Amino acid sequence: MIAYTVPLFLRGRVVTEDLVPFDTRVGAAQFQAPDISKYVEQLPLKSPAAMRDLYELSFGEILDVLQALGNALDFDTNTHLQEAYEASLVANVLPAEMLQNSYRVLGPLFSRDNVTEIADTQVGLDYLNGWVPHKLRDGRELRVRAFGSRVLHIPAGNGGLVSAVTILRSVITRSDVIIKAPSNDPLTAVAIARTLADVAPNHPITKHLAVGYWKGGDLAVEETLYQPQHIEKIVAWGGLASVKHVTRYIQPGLELIALDPKRSATIIGHQAFGDEATTREVARRAATDIGVANQEGCANARVIYVLSGTDADGIAKANRLGELIYQELMALPAVVSTPPRYPNRELLDHVEASRMTEDFYRVIGGEHREGAIVVSQFDEAVDYSPMLSGRVANIVPVDNIDKVTAAVNAYTQTIGIYPESLKRRLRDTLPLFGAQRLTSLGYACNVAIAAPQDAIEPIRRMCKWVVDEECDASVVIPLWKLTPA
Amino acid sequence: MTRMTVTEKTARSVTEFMDDPISFFGQSYTQMHSISRAELQALQRQAMGIRFQQHRESIEMLRKLADRLGITALNDFNDVVPLFFSHTAFKSYPAALVDKKRFDLMTKWLDKLTSYDLSDVDTAGCTGIDDWIDRLDEQTPLEVITSSGTTGTISILPKDKCGARDGMTLWKICLFQTFGQEPTERELNPSVDVVWPNFANGKLGHLRIANMIKGGFTGGDESKFHALYPFAVDTDLMFLASKMRAAASRGELDRLQIDPALAARKDEFIAMQARQPQDMDAFFSRITEQLRGKRVFMLGTYHLMYDIAKAGLDRGVRNVFAADSAILTGGGMKGVALPDDFMDIIKDFLGVDRIQVGYGFSESSTFHWGCSEGRYHVAPWVIPFVLDPETSEPLPRTGVQTGRAAVYDILLRAHWGGVISGDEVTINWDLQCPCGQASVAFEPGIMRYSEKQGVEDDRITCAATHEVHNEVVDFMKGVDL
Repeated sequence: MIAYTVPLFLRGRVVTEDLVPFDTRVGAAQFQAPDISKYVEQLPLKSPAAMRDLYELSFGEILDVLQALGNALDFDTNTHLQEAYEASLVANVLPAEMLQNSYRVLGPLFSRDNVTEIADTQVGLDYLNGWVPHKLRDGRELRVRAFGSRVLHIPAGNGGLVSAVTILRSVITRSDVIIKAPSNDPLTAVAIARTLADVAPNHPITKHLAVGYWKGGDLAVEETLYQPQHIEKIVAWGGLASVKHVTRYIQPGLELIALDPKRSATIIGHQAFGDEATTREVARRAATDIGVANQEGCANARVIYVLSGTDADGIAKANRLGELIYQELMALPAVVSTPPRYPNRELLDHVEASRMTEDFYRVIGGEHREGAIVVSQFDEAVDYSPMLSGRVANIVPVDNIDKVTAAVNAYTQTIGIYPESLKRRLRDTLPLFGAQRLTSLGYACNVAIAAPQDAIEPIRRMCKWVVDEECDASVVIPLWKLTPA
Repeated sequence: MTRMTVTEKTARSVTEFMDDPISFFGQSYTQMHSISRAELQALQRQAMGIRFQQHRESIEMLRKLADRLGITALNDFNDVVPLFFSHTAFKSYPAALVDKKRFDLMTKWLDKLTSYDLSDVDTAGCTGIDDWIDRLDEQTPLEVITSSGTTGTISILPKDKCGARDGMTLWKICLFQTFGQEPTERELNPSVDVVWPNFANGKLGHLRIANMIKGGFTGGDESKFHALYPFAVDTDLMFLASKMRAAASRGELDRLQIDPALAARKDEFIAMQARQPQDMDAFFSRITEQLRGKRVFMLGTYHLMYDIAKAGLDRGVRNVFAADSAILTGGGMKGVALPDDFMDIIKDFLGVDRIQVGYGFSESSTFHWGCSEGRYHVAPWVIPFVLDPETSEPLPRTGVQTGRAAVYDILLRAHWGGVISGDEVTINWDLQCPCGQASVAFEPGIMRYSEKQGVEDDRITCAATHEVHNEVVDFMKGVDL
C-alpha cells in the first residue's frame, strides 16, 4: 500500500512523475517518490555564477520573505503542512498530538526578530551583508565577508524542526541548498519549500532550494551529486552509520559538517534532597528531560547521576527520587510525552532482567511499556545504557563527581545539571572530557537555535569566509623590497 | 507395538519421562518421535507442572517472578508463557562485578538463577571468569557455559554435569540412529574419532562442548580428538573483547581498563595468534594422513565447515572421511556470504553421503534434529511455542504459525527451562511430516530477528569466535601494557 508521495521540489518546480516505491521505517506501508536518478543532473546549480542573484538581495528582503513564510506556515490553513503531518503519522514513531504540535511551532521560528537574532549572533549581520574592515598590525587593510556556499543537507528526521532550521540557516547565509529528505520525516522540508514557492514564487530564495528523497547509500545518485563541482559542503545529521557513510565522499573541495549522533547525561547534586518540595521540583525537571518527544532525541536525559551517596541512606534517596521521577514522567501532558508507540523489545528484555536482579537494580514502572526508571543500587550505570529509549532512564547514585566525569566522552552532547551552583563548578571541567552543552535541569530538550551546536558553530561553518586585503606599499613593506634580516 | 509400550509407561512414570527421558524412550530415536501427540502432550503438561513446583522452590528469580505475577501452578501450556526468561536474564549481573573481581557477588547472582545451592562456594582470591568457573566445576554440580555478546557482558548459563552427560548421549542417539529402526549396539556405542575444527578448549559456550564430546564420544582418549587449534580460548580474553566492542561503540576505547593478569599474558596471546597458520597446516596433515577413510564425528557451524572445506580443497584434499561418518552442522547465516553450492563443497571435501543439521539455542537442553524433509523435529521433552514477535503473546497451537520461537524444556534441572529465543520460526501444527516422525517440527528457514531487521546483533555467534579472538589480540598489540 502506498501511503503517501514525496514530491521532488526542484527550485520552485514540483515534480510528481517517474514515481518509484520505498519502504517506510515503521510497519508495512510504502511511499513513493520520483526516481532521483532521472533528475540528479537537474539537482545541482548549473554554475556558481548563478548564485549572484542572492547577493542582490538586501537582508531586509530576506527577512521579509522569511516572515511571510512563517506567517504562511499556519497548520490550520496550510495544506502542505497538513499533508506532511498525515505522512508523518505513518513514517514517524511519535504519536499524533505530538507530531501535530511539532508543526505548530514551525511558523514562529521564521519571525523577523528570531531570524535576526540567529543571523547576528551566529554569524554577524555585518559579515553576512558586506565586507567588514579591520586593520592589521602590519598596516594592511583587511575586509572579511561571509559568503554562502552550495550545501547539501542530510537532516535528521526525529522532528520537523530540523528541516525548518536547515532551510533557515541556508537562507540567511545566502546559500544554494539541496536537502535530502529523511525517511522518517519525509514531507516537512517539501512542505516548507512549497509554502515558500507560494509566498515568493520565482524569488531567488525559492530558486536556490531543492528538496528530494533518495535512499541513503544510493550510490548512483550520491556518486553523481556528491562532487566538488556540484556542492562544497555536506551537513550531515543522524546516526553513526549514515554519517560514516557520507565520509567516503569527502575530498579536497568538499567538506563535511557533521552533527553526528550524541548521547546526553544528567547530574543532580545533593541539594535536590533539601526538602520534599525541592525533590519534587527536581523530579519534574528530570522527568521532562527524559520524556520530551518520548526520548527520541539526542538531548534527552538517559543516565542520571545523583550525588546522593551510596550508603544505605544515599540509596534510599536515589530510590525515592526514582519513584518521584516516574510519577512526574507519567504525569507529563500528552503533547510533550506519551508511552512509546514502538518500544525497543531488546531494551525491555534487559529492563525485565534488571527487575529480577534486585540486589543491584530497582525497576520502577515499565510493566505496561509506558516507560520505566531503573535505579542502580550501586554506583554504576546499567550495561545496556546505550539502548535507553522510549522513556526508560537509569538513575545512578554516586559518592562524588569523579564517577560522573568518567562517563562523559566525545559522544556526550547535553548535560542537564541541578543546581546552578553545581553547574558553575563543573563547567570548566566537563568540556575537557567531551561535554558540549551544559543546561539547567529540565531544559535539555528546550534547545536554542541562536547558539553553537555540538561544540561547533554550524552556520559559520556553512559560510565561506573570504578575505580582501588592501596593502599600501608605503605602509606594508613589500616582499620585493625585502632585505636580508 | 511401540505405541503400546509407551502408553503403558505413560500411566506408570511421568517421573521417568521428565528425569530420564533417554531410558523412558529405550534409548531409541524412533520411540522418541513415534509417541502420539495426545499422549505426549498429557505427559508434557503434567511434567511441566511438576518441574515448575520444583523450580519455584529452588530458583529464587523464578519464584519472585511467579509471585509477582500471581502464578502458583501451571496447568495448560500457555500458562508458562508469562514466566519465560529472555536471554537477558542470564546476563543481568553488572559487568563491573567482573572488573572488580567480586566473584562472591557473581556467585550470589548465579545462585538465584540455579536450582543448586551455591551458598558455600569459596571464591576467595578468584582471578577471573575462567578461574571462577573452575571453582564452580569443582565445588558444585554445575558445569557453567558462557557466551559472548557486544553489550560489554557475557551470558552465564548454569548448566550442570548430568545435563552435559545426557546431552552427549542424546547426540549419539540422534547422530547414529535412523528413524524407523530400533538402535543396534554399534549405533549405541559408536567408535569414532572426533574432528573439531575449532579451538581445543575453553569455557565459552560451544567450546565447552569440546570437553563434553571428549567424554561422550572418545571415552576421554585425547588421541582420538582432533582440534584445529590446540589451545584454549580464554574467557576473560573474550570478556575483554566484548567490553572492547561496547567501549568502541561509546567512543570510550581510550578508557578501557585491561586487567593486569590478562595484560601479563599479552605475548602468549600474540604467539598463539601467530602460530595459527602452522596449526592449520598441522590439522590438515593430521586429518589426511591419520584419519583418511576413517569414520569420524565432525561438527561446526556452516561457516566454519565451509572455511575448512575450502581450505582443504585449495590444498587438493577431498573425500577425506568414511562415507558413514556423522557430520553435524547448523547455526545462522548472519554476515556470512556463502556460495549457493556451499553444502556441495563441504560434502566434496568430507566425502560423506549426508550432513545432519540441528536447531537449538544454548539456553535449552538439546538440538532438534533435521529430518529428510528439512524440518527440525522437536525433542519430546521440549514444548515449543510460537509467540507474537512484539508482544510475546502465544499464537494458537493450530494451523501454520510464524513468530518468535520459545520453548519450555522439561529436561533442564539446573536452571529454569522456559526461554524465549531471538529466532523467527514457523510451525505447521496440523502437519504429519511425510518423514514419518509423529513429532511437531520447526519448518526450515529459521532466521534471527536481528538478522531479518538488519540491525546489529547483540550476539557473537559461534562462527565468529576466531575473528573476535584475533580482534582482541590485535587490540592488545596496539596498546602499551
